[in-house]
Amino acid sequence: MSEALARIDPVSGSAVFANGVTLTLVEPMARFSLRARQPEALEQLLGFKLPRKIGASLDCAACLGPDEWLLRAAAGTKIASGSGQPVSITEISERSVCLIVEGARAAEVLASGCPLDLDRFAVGRATRTVFETVEIILLRTGEDRFQVEVWRSFAPWLRTALETAALQLR
Amino acid sequence: MLLVHCPYCEEKRAEIEFAYAGEAHIARPLDPAAMSDEDWARYLFIRSNPRGRHHERWRHIHGCGRFFNAVRDTVTDKFEVTYKAGEPRR
Repeated sequence: MSEALARIDPVSGSAVFANGVTLTLVEPMARFSLRARQPEALEQLLGFKLPRKIGASLDCAACLGPDEWLLRAAAGTKIASGSGQPVSITEISERSVCLIVEGARAAEVLASGCPLDLDRFAVGRATRTVFETVEIILLRTGEDRFQVEVWRSFAPWLRTALETAALQLR
Repeated sequence: MLLVHCPYCEEKRAEIEFAYAGEAHIARPLDPAAMSDEDWARYLFIRSNPRGRHHERWRHIHGCGRFFNAVRDTVTDKFEVTYKAGEPRR
């Protein structure tokens, strides 16, 4: 039956261009919420290093809190369940979608609703924050490139807000 | 915009990322059943409400998600210091 089901994204997959800023929806991917008091337990289980500083990212993992990581990987990726270990691994692939804000003025578009000081938000940083009142996870993947993870139900509003901000840049 | 220093993230973040969580350093009684109603009510409802230095809990809910303690001046609304949960009263 599942073969007959069509996947519906909460926002359009077509890109928006405005004032040199591009807004695109990222292809579906696998996401996992990793929790553990001892990061070593997770590292041993997963077989790779996790960033230790809050707000740092390493490859596909971002450290969101003292005991919390977000792991993002290609769609369909399976990882260990952690059963019996002092860790919690939860698949959250469909909880959020990811928008890319790219372009020379991408930071200005995000600054229209995000209180972070983006001048001091270096490439490779990742953090949970807000855009207006909507919670997002912001990742800076390049000098002019940001990824915005947002919960599905907030995505249509957020995309409209980012598009409006991009169109109104002066 | 009021900036609050999160002791876990080790940086100043906007107040909108935080949630206030009441007075700090109020320990739950170890044996509630042995307490009188008056003492229990005092634990539940009575707070110091000072004018000036106030120890309070905050949560970086739209950030690292952690509760921490802060000393804020209730007159000027200035944060004097923030420190991790579990650390002694400043």
